[in-house]
Amino acid sequence: MANEPVAIGVDVGSTTCKVVVIDGDGAILDHRVEPTHPRIEQQTTRLIGELSATLGRALPVGATGYGRQRVFGATRVLTEITCHARGAFCRVGRAAVLVDMGGQDTKIIRVGDDGAVGDFAMNDKCAAGTGRFLEVILGRLQVPFDEVWLHVSRADHGIAVSSTCTVFAESEVISLVAEGQELDGILRGLHESLAKRVASLAGALPPDASVVMSGGVALNAAMVRALSSALRREVRVLPEPQLVGALGAALSVR
Amino acid sequence: MRKAYVARQREALGRKSVAVLPVHYPKEILTAMDVLAVELWGPPGSPRGPEAGRLQTYVCAVVRNALAFMAGGHADVVDAALFPHTCDSVQGLATLVTDFGGWSKPSFVFQHPKGPTRASARKFLIAELRALAAWLGTLTGRPLDVEALRRAIRLHRAIDETKARVLARRERLPLSDRELYEALRRGEWLWPEEHLDELRELEGKLALDAPPRAGVPLMVTGYVPEPMALLDALDDAGAYVVRDDWAAVGRRVVVPRCAPDLDGDPFEALATLYYEAPECPTRSLDQEARTRRLLSLYDESGARGVIVHEPKFCEPEAFDVPAIKRAFAERGAPLLYLETELETELSGQTTTRLEAFVEMVGARRAA
Amino acid sequence: MIGVVGKLGRRRLEYEVVKRLVGPLLTEVESARARVKSFRKRGHQPKGPFGPPLESARKLKELMTRHYLEGRYADGAVPVAWVTSGFPVEVLRPLGFHAVYPENHAALCAVQRVVPHLSEAIEQQGYSRDLCSYPRADLGSVVLQETPVGRLPRPDLLCCCTNICQTTLYWYRALAAHFHVPLVLVDPPFVYGEAKPHHREYVRDQLEELLDVAGKVAGRRATMDEIVEVTRLAREGTLLWGECLAESRNRPAPWTGIDGFFHIAPIVALRGKPECNAYYRQLRDELRHRVDKGIGGIRDERHRLLWDNLPIWFDVRGTATLLAERGFNFVCTSYTNAWAEAGSRIDPADPLGSAVIAYTDIILNQDLGKRYATLARLAEEYTCDGAVLHSDRSCKPYSIGQLDLKQRLAKDLGIKVMVLEADHGDPRAYAVEQGHGRLTAFMESFA
Repeated sequence: MANEPVAIGVDVGSTTCKVVVIDGDGAILDHRVEPTHPRIEQQTTRLIGELSATLGRALPVGATGYGRQRVFGATRVLTEITCHARGAFCRVGRAAVLVDMGGQDTKIIRVGDDGAVGDFAMNDKCAAGTGRFLEVILGRLQVPFDEVWLHVSRADHGIAVSSTCTVFAESEVISLVAEGQELDGILRGLHESLAKRVASLAGALPPDASVVMSGGVALNAAMVRALSSALRREVRVLPEPQLVGALGAALSVR
Repeated sequence: MRKAYVARQREALGRKSVAVLPVHYPKEILTAMDVLAVELWGPPGSPRGPEAGRLQTYVCAVVRNALAFMAGGHADVVDAALFPHTCDSVQGLATLVTDFGGWSKPSFVFQHPKGPTRASARKFLIAELRALAAWLGTLTGRPLDVEALRRAIRLHRAIDETKARVLARRERLPLSDRELYEALRRGEWLWPEEHLDELRELEGKLALDAPPRAGVPLMVTGYVPEPMALLDALDDAGAYVVRDDWAAVGRRVVVPRCAPDLDGDPFEALATLYYEAPECPTRSLDQEARTRRLLSLYDESGARGVIVHEPKFCEPEAFDVPAIKRAFAERGAPLLYLETELETELSGQTTTRLEAFVEMVGARRAA
Repeated sequence: MIGVVGKLGRRRLEYEVVKRLVGPLLTEVESARARVKSFRKRGHQPKGPFGPPLESARKLKELMTRHYLEGRYADGAVPVAWVTSGFPVEVLRPLGFHAVYPENHAALCAVQRVVPHLSEAIEQQGYSRDLCSYPRADLGSVVLQETPVGRLPRPDLLCCCTNICQTTLYWYRALAAHFHVPLVLVDPPFVYGEAKPHHREYVRDQLEELLDVAGKVAGRRATMDEIVEVTRLAREGTLLWGECLAESRNRPAPWTGIDGFFHIAPIVALRGKPECNAYYRQLRDELRHRVDKGIGGIRDERHRLLWDNLPIWFDVRGTATLLAERGFNFVCTSYTNAWAEAGSRIDPADPLGSAVIAYTDIILNQDLGKRYATLARLAEEYTCDGAVLHSDRSCKPYSIGQLDLKQRLAKDLGIKVMVLEADHGDPRAYAVEQGHGRLTAFMESFA
């Protein structure tokens, strides 16, 4: 039933906590995004309470994300892998490869034509290949997030950054700056290097696989472009990419 | 607990004991010479002391922890150390800790041949087995009694056969994975006769008439079931290990296709058993034989997914991973690759991976 | 059948043409070009901190170019073996095998900094980045069918000797599964203390097995006379290489340890071939000439260092320059020295018996006490006042123990020692700036 709220989804990520209310078609009617509080139980109870009060009734709650076990009253608890797959499938409607780049993790999920997880891969525990990698180095270069695209689009080629370890890359970038290399080229090179890392995590993709992207990093157009070129195909960003996990959690209790 | 056990064995029975590094060694000879083997798989957790710093951080945790443990005096309750020639890292540890400080008690490196299916390798293996027996003879002051070795081989055959029966009917055992693997791994330090008694008790618990346990059955290949929290996480996620090829456990259960002659030359029998042991990259030249074995284990076990669980920086295992991935992908079997480092707690990310894998495999049957 | 013979015949013809005509022709063209270049450059003083370049370097390039060029036409023409660096190749040479040295090839890829590219191709299949960068480069090259040398011939036989590391065993297992060709193993037990008689016997038995397998692949067995002759050549080549290295005992050393890393290629890949020995004779004579004239590998040699482990191939020049600018030279490396020792133990009077000892007792197959003794002896013979131990993420057998070796060398010899953590092949695993910073700080401590 369109427009009739049927479920709530909660995605407690390492940096942000996302809550959505959806209708029977999976349209997001309302949502909240907040930085994750150390007291996850209280925060999620409060957010769910607020939304329920607005709706005037309680709805089933699906919980996901690294804090999923600490969501009181959750009807169903699932990992973000399964939830991202469901959310993405709801948006795309067919088989796809989902690249979810969040703060701490990068996940590659193959979503089957039934919306189920076919296979998945995650970065190892170091920050290489995650949003954190970009964050550290952009911070070091004092480039605000919303100016990244401007810089990268101006560069006619990327300056190779070979290290993928965050610590090594940081020192490599600093020395490139010290050598007088263009900031634009360095930033482009950085995105290309990260995209390669993600591509290697993805492994060999079937030639006809369509690739979609979710997670906070999907809002970075430079990253989307670099990833498209590393995967040699267009990467489509899902609408409201940071809410895909919460959407999937809500869908699981719909 | 182990330390007290080893001390009691010495005090009550005058039994000597030897710390043994991973993986493969002829335990039968130790048993025959009344020597207790106490295996040192790390131990897990943080290194016990600063000596781990003598090895670079790109050496696996098993070897770094073992160095810290031995050099920190934590293994002083045993009388000697035995290093099987497993890999470059154990090979290096054996000279580092004995030549450059950390272990001053007797030690022996058991150099099992690589590529065992060669005539030269069999001949060498037998010579090496005899050399080990001679070393143990010096350690204990008693020469090897051939009849005792025959008895020991029979004892260890009984242990392996019991283990094999238990593992093959794992889904009929009313135990959690942690309970099962803790029981099996007591064999790493218990006197073998006691271990056999425990295994028989375990076998008695098999509920063959009851329905098989619920949950998603998975197969594991890898090195050692550490951290044990991994088993808890699988349990919590609604899955269990129906068959394992951990080098420390399932891969050391030898079920020979042709029975060795237990009345003839016991060294020949040991060599035959060595040939018949499951495929392991630390001994064999044939990578495809390992993937074939894994596929057949998978088929016969009814597992619905496979976890490749390796310690970080383990070269012999890591080189086989792509072939294993390919083989299971061709079979259409779900596979999860997991790397751990003997940490005591699982990271949230690792737990998520395991849970997501179980969700994925579970959803496949539902669909 | 006729088709097969015809095809074989054509491959063989191409191979012979390349070997006998094209190769020498290229050599001529190259050397003519070099003569013109050096004529134009006459009178110019070399710039930078290094001494004048070695004349032999040009010859080295020709020699290795011809080796890889012949390789491109070898499969289908002659039996091809892929061989580990420490393999007793003397058994294969008489049978006309073209020997490919994947380690040498990987080093070449590393120098050209293509390892990340090659490695990424197989990381996608699940090969871990923690594995040695040599096999990653070579397996990547196999998968992508890309190599800086044009083309590597497909092997008929894989020859693995674990005296350098166990890694080769796992690596060649993977190659055997990929190519579906026989893998022959020589597994010399690691020597703790003294090698036991049954260890020696095992290696001897394996050499006999090797003769059988190689004979089957090649279609005939090598005769003892042939093996004696190759052994003579291999021993002579090794001794010549040792003489080249020993010239650096002079002050100033007539070349740099870094030069040595490059000039090692023939003794690894062409051992037992006459052209290898001719080359080292020429190099030795040039080095002796430089010693007579007082020409150094670097222009102002103030400090002499020992290098332990493989080089950082992709930053060899960078490291050498950094050091040379401050008057430091690596006059000796345990790695190049290893190739001067092993082969000197082989003896044409008893080719197999001596090969057993030579291929078992190499430095990487011996306990740390002997490693220490070798390093200490080298430091003394080459009058080094410092040592850099390269802790190589890619090479555990060479790197384990270095932290203890460092303490001992510093204490017993009173020299300065540093451990530099890097990788021999993968630039992604080494922050060059940080490494150079640490080397610079180390050099400053000599002031």
